[in-house]
Amino acid sequence: MNLFSETGQAGFPSRREMLRYGGMGFGSLALAGLLEQQGLAQSQAVSSETKSIRPLAPRQPHFEPKAKSVIWLLMNGGPSHIDTWDYKPELQKRDGQKLDGADRKTGFFATTGTLLKSPFKFAKHGQSCAWVSEIFPNLANHVDKMAFIHSCYTESNNHSPALFQLNTGLNRMGFPCVGSWITYGLGSVNENMPGFVVMTDALGRGLPKGKALNWGAGFLPGVYQGTPLNNANPAIDNLFRRSSQSATQQRRLLDLVKASNGEHQKKYADEADLSARIESFELAFRMQMSAPEVLNVTKETEATRKSYGLDNKKCAHFGRQCLMARRMVERGVRFIQIYSGGTGDAESWDGHKDIHKNHSKLGGEVDQPIAALLADLKQSGLLDSTLVVCGGEFGRTSDSQGSRGRDHNPNAFTTWLAGGGIKGGVHYGKTDEFGYKIIEKRTSVHDIHATLLHLMGMDHERLTYRFNGRDYRLTDVYGDVIKELLV
Amino acid sequence: MRLTDLAAATKTLKSGDRAIVQGNPHESELLRRVTSADIDERMPPKGAPLTDRQIAHLKKWIADGAKWPTHWAYTPLVRLRPPSIPAEWQQHVRTPIDAFVLDKLLRRKLTPAPPADKRTLLRRVFFDLIGLPPSAEQMKQFLADASPNAYEKAVDHLLASLRYGEHWARHWLDVAHYADTHGNDHDFYRPNAWPYRDYVIRSFNDDKPYARFVAEQVAGDALFPEDPQATAALGFLAAGPWDHTLMSTIREDTVDHRMGQNLDRDNMVSTVMSTFTSLTVHCARCHDHRFDPVRQREYYGLQAVFAGVDRADRPFDTDPEIQSQRTKLLAQKKAVSAKDISKLPALDSPEIASGIAALAREVADRTEQWQALEVASTSGAAGTVFAKQDDGSWFVSGARPEKDTFVVTTKTTLKGIRALRLEVLPDKRLPHGGPGRYDNGNFHLSQFRATAQSARGEAKDPVALKFTRVQADHSDRGDIVANTIDGKPNSYWSIHPQYNKSHDAVFEIEAPVGFDGGTTLTIQLEFYGKTGHQIGRFRLWATADAAPKIPKGQQVIPPAIASILNVPAKKQTPQQRRELVLYVVSKKVDEALASLPAQQFVYAATSDFAASGSFKPSPKPRPIHLLVRGDINKPGELISPGATACMTGLAGSLEIADVDDESLRRAALARWLTDTRNVLTWRSIVNRVWHYHFGHGLCNTPNDFGKMGGTPSHPELLDWLAVWFRDDAKGSLKALHRLIVTSATYRQSSQGQGRGQQIDSGNRLLWRMNRTRLTGEMLRDAALAMSDRLDLKMGGPSVVQFKHKGVASTFMPADGSPAFLDYEHFDPDSPENNRRAIYRFVFRTAPDPLMEALDCPDGGAMTPVRTTSSTALQALALLNNAFLIRQSEHIAARVAKATNEPSDQVGTAFRIMLQRSSNTREGAVFAEYIKRHGLANMCHVLLNSNEFIYID
Repeated sequence: MNLFSETGQAGFPSRREMLRYGGMGFGSLALAGLLEQQGLAQSQAVSSETKSIRPLAPRQPHFEPKAKSVIWLLMNGGPSHIDTWDYKPELQKRDGQKLDGADRKTGFFATTGTLLKSPFKFAKHGQSCAWVSEIFPNLANHVDKMAFIHSCYTESNNHSPALFQLNTGLNRMGFPCVGSWITYGLGSVNENMPGFVVMTDALGRGLPKGKALNWGAGFLPGVYQGTPLNNANPAIDNLFRRSSQSATQQRRLLDLVKASNGEHQKKYADEADLSARIESFELAFRMQMSAPEVLNVTKETEATRKSYGLDNKKCAHFGRQCLMARRMVERGVRFIQIYSGGTGDAESWDGHKDIHKNHSKLGGEVDQPIAALLADLKQSGLLDSTLVVCGGEFGRTSDSQGSRGRDHNPNAFTTWLAGGGIKGGVHYGKTDEFGYKIIEKRTSVHDIHATLLHLMGMDHERLTYRFNGRDYRLTDVYGDVIKELLV
Repeated sequence: MRLTDLAAATKTLKSGDRAIVQGNPHESELLRRVTSADIDERMPPKGAPLTDRQIAHLKKWIADGAKWPTHWAYTPLVRLRPPSIPAEWQQHVRTPIDAFVLDKLLRRKLTPAPPADKRTLLRRVFFDLIGLPPSAEQMKQFLADASPNAYEKAVDHLLASLRYGEHWARHWLDVAHYADTHGNDHDFYRPNAWPYRDYVIRSFNDDKPYARFVAEQVAGDALFPEDPQATAALGFLAAGPWDHTLMSTIREDTVDHRMGQNLDRDNMVSTVMSTFTSLTVHCARCHDHRFDPVRQREYYGLQAVFAGVDRADRPFDTDPEIQSQRTKLLAQKKAVSAKDISKLPALDSPEIASGIAALAREVADRTEQWQALEVASTSGAAGTVFAKQDDGSWFVSGARPEKDTFVVTTKTTLKGIRALRLEVLPDKRLPHGGPGRYDNGNFHLSQFRATAQSARGEAKDPVALKFTRVQADHSDRGDIVANTIDGKPNSYWSIHPQYNKSHDAVFEIEAPVGFDGGTTLTIQLEFYGKTGHQIGRFRLWATADAAPKIPKGQQVIPPAIASILNVPAKKQTPQQRRELVLYVVSKKVDEALASLPAQQFVYAATSDFAASGSFKPSPKPRPIHLLVRGDINKPGELISPGATACMTGLAGSLEIADVDDESLRRAALARWLTDTRNVLTWRSIVNRVWHYHFGHGLCNTPNDFGKMGGTPSHPELLDWLAVWFRDDAKGSLKALHRLIVTSATYRQSSQGQGRGQQIDSGNRLLWRMNRTRLTGEMLRDAALAMSDRLDLKMGGPSVVQFKHKGVASTFMPADGSPAFLDYEHFDPDSPENNRRAIYRFVFRTAPDPLMEALDCPDGGAMTPVRTTSSTALQALALLNNAFLIRQSEHIAARVAKATNEPSDQVGTAFRIMLQRSSNTREGAVFAEYIKRHGLANMCHVLLNSNEFIYID
């Protein structure tokens, strides 16, 4: 059956519509791709009225990309930069002293304490001589792969607005997140798997604050929202056929649906949305077959499983997710986000009461798995085309909350990136001697987003979607690509 | 330099230049800038400079006077005559709509598609008007009806069906972005959202004139106070998400809180203006609108309209009769508190006299024992304010310090006092109704002390009273009432979690006290420790009873009234007599109010609600400043309420008699919106209705008629419809539906090839009907209709179609862990599943995977147009969803009841599900399938078929 015969041509978007989409690789696409484009081009002109025809089919980027996939490790709760990657010797010396210029409005609880030294030991690692806290003994071996941005900030000292900002660029609900923008811009190369997958805490400690809005598509068509993997079976909603139906029965059912749809289509020859729907059943059938296999980490060697810490009670849950992420990247999944930690303070990186206890625990959950992921990606060569991002929604205060805790500090924190076109061993931006405020190269979430899109081959100013009278961007009206981080 | 409209483009700029001087290109700054060689000056600032040809065009246009046509959406509506159609096409013209459409088609050398066959047409109009398929029987009757108006009869039948309101309300709720939870971090349950949903359904079914429908949703309380449904209508303003953290949890003095309020109003403004006028005014929050003639100050004028309201539960009576009684009683109550005797019954009316007599008896017969203490003075920490209430209690407001001690001096004539009683009372001004002042309504009373001394003459030193025992009707675990007499400041009595009700603590005294000539009791209430944990309303009592009890529901006669009643009637002064009358009337009013049926709540816009944390009602509308660049830290001038002047012939100013009355602000906007000269309102609604009938609007951006929105395919038809709807149909939506669905344009076949496909594949010119896909709701409802399990019960609280770990009243787990919803394992045969989808519970951040896969909106943003995607996840949902599989089994059972012969079963299933008979080939293939895989699987095939899922 020729799904895309010449009659499809009549449906080409107008030139104006194409231009509005930012002139994405118009000339270089195959006819099938053009039809995909049409879906998007119309969605541009018609805003949310998208006649989406295979909206997840792969599309050309604006320019040659460095990265094909992203794994975003989100240390949910706000890890302390000064207890992890941003070493402050002066803070160690001045423990217990007053913090000049302390601002009660920095943290969520509006209190100020005295300077609190890090309870963790720091040492230099790698050729780049990066200071790393003792909570990351394994990750410390990979600092030469990482580019650190020590001058990140968000605009709210409250979890969900800061998380929304990290994920969508704006600190309020209802906007499309990075993963949605990326799958909207590039589609997915493996339609047997969702293009954008999210994994949340596998120990049942709950979702990050703001829940599903963190992977929502906002005003973009719903197909671009993240697919959360359930921690129970099935991993994807409605993935498995019901026990009342045998595999053969379902196959025969699909065959008959296909035959009957073929009859119907005779009346509507060559209408692409009908064809796409017919095809969607085949995709579904394949996803049903392949997704469990992709997510099945027992297919890995014992050595691999061990390296991710699957035999280690402390970190097995996160290790499994990291390993699943690698398996998905191998199969072309575009964007994978893994949340470390759940909802509650003590069950996420939210060390209000006791930074030592909190970060030792959470650090222990992620250190070995992330290190193994980096090593594994590197060894297989996938790291070159996979961008790994790691950080939280804000940092923590240099002064104490209570005697051993730290409050939120949206004014300074560290995020690191690795692989996919990132230059290793780079330290970008700087905080003051206590890590309380940024003193060099303030880096907004928009800058990080712009850089990420750039590495994926997209110009953040040209990736737009018309909604409510405006051409929206992930980066709103801001954002600069951070050139210093690029290879 | 702004080029959004002629006025902006020709005004004198700060530099003294004018961007455009009409007729004079050489003085036009714009032309100089586009031709400038200086790269910093040249426009456009980015990209290539204009070509010589473009510049020449621009120059000529300015030289010719820079004629600036008004954007189509803002021009006045004029009544147009439908175009005349050549005689050979006359019979295709069933309605004026057809003349407009046909005229365009013929001009483009296109011809309309032939009429759809009867089966296709009936299926189409059923789904379109009521969201359900015709039954096999209904189809049979229709096909058998050879009368020329068989179709029109069916249309009238559908428009009269209550199912119509249920289906069209869903469209409206998409735009209002209605849901049953708040959204954002906590996504708390909104238990009283549904009365608004029911209001919308009822309004569609009643065919409420559109202007009234609009006005009710913006200011129903102010404009139609006699109609309780007009209050439920205000749910529209509150339907969108609400940020609990920003609005209530975080401190009032934070930027985030103020920004939260700003964005909350922004949501109201954009919802109102996008819904009713298809105008994107919210683009002017940070600066003048870049593309449309909406000024930033106009945007803040609209924010000022909503500056007095928040989103909260608002009471209303469902029965207008009860409401009218309540209104009268409340007016009397107001007269009583204003001591306006003229509006009350006469002093000597028998009703009053008997009331006073009864009271006097009650006082005289009082064997009991709790006597209210008359308060002489109160004091507390600096900033704490005490206010006496009508019932003799005291309300506390002002600062909420960390430590506070209330010192209350009272007098009593009672002797032999054995116990004191502290009564704490709820008050809706307190957080969660109190009785405490802390954010959750709690207090921490750490010590209760009292001294006594003679009230007569030069008193001796006060004697501290020693308490032997204390009891209370309720204490929090551990924080028991005995802590108040233990002498330790850091333990206390708390009433968590029993908020919003009164509680009593009774303190028994070791030895009776009481002096001849009266006793002064000085009582100290000490609050230590946590900020703001003071009592918010209290009353003090004493008794001489040796076995004092916590009273239950006792009648309280305030001390002042009791003392008047102790005076013989003949000796009472007129002033005292008046007090008694007022008291009797107020009691009667309170009793009458209490006997009325309980009010329903609707989550709606309101200025009157119980404070909770930093979320507090504003007694007067909040001042609204223009925010420079939308920055909350850069307030500019104070802005008064107003609308926008973007339309020709309609001013943007609002006339408001009393700007301090926030409801009058909204009423003025409602009048502006429904003004016959508000051309946007009338164009917007006919376009919206058209969109739902045809799958796309005449203008394909129903929420945006601005320059960035779509251009209408048939502007004349749009205007004709707007005028017809406003003037001839008097805003009757049912009349509009009837006009549209009886048009030849609507009745066309959706099949078509040839020239139309070549020059207009998007079918903007309507050379055929559009094929549309069932929405998630339609698919779900249809499955239930076909399995004959659809429960047609209307209205009421939303039905829960998921399992959850939460407690029923909040859906949040009692231990505070995050809400967890499980759709996957919810019993598909649960009766809740059989209700129509409009009644399902929509959890904003945890949508139903089946409905989500079918592109149902989650209420996060306004959805004027739904997407129709075809994804693998959608196919998986249709293949594997337990509910759909179960419905296939139920349909199969229904079919099997009729016949057990596979070939007959095929025909029956086709008639139920596709409303047609199967052909011979289908009969054979499907019968074979039934034999091998069973009837239920065969029904599941049809449920997945394009013929079922699409409306041809």
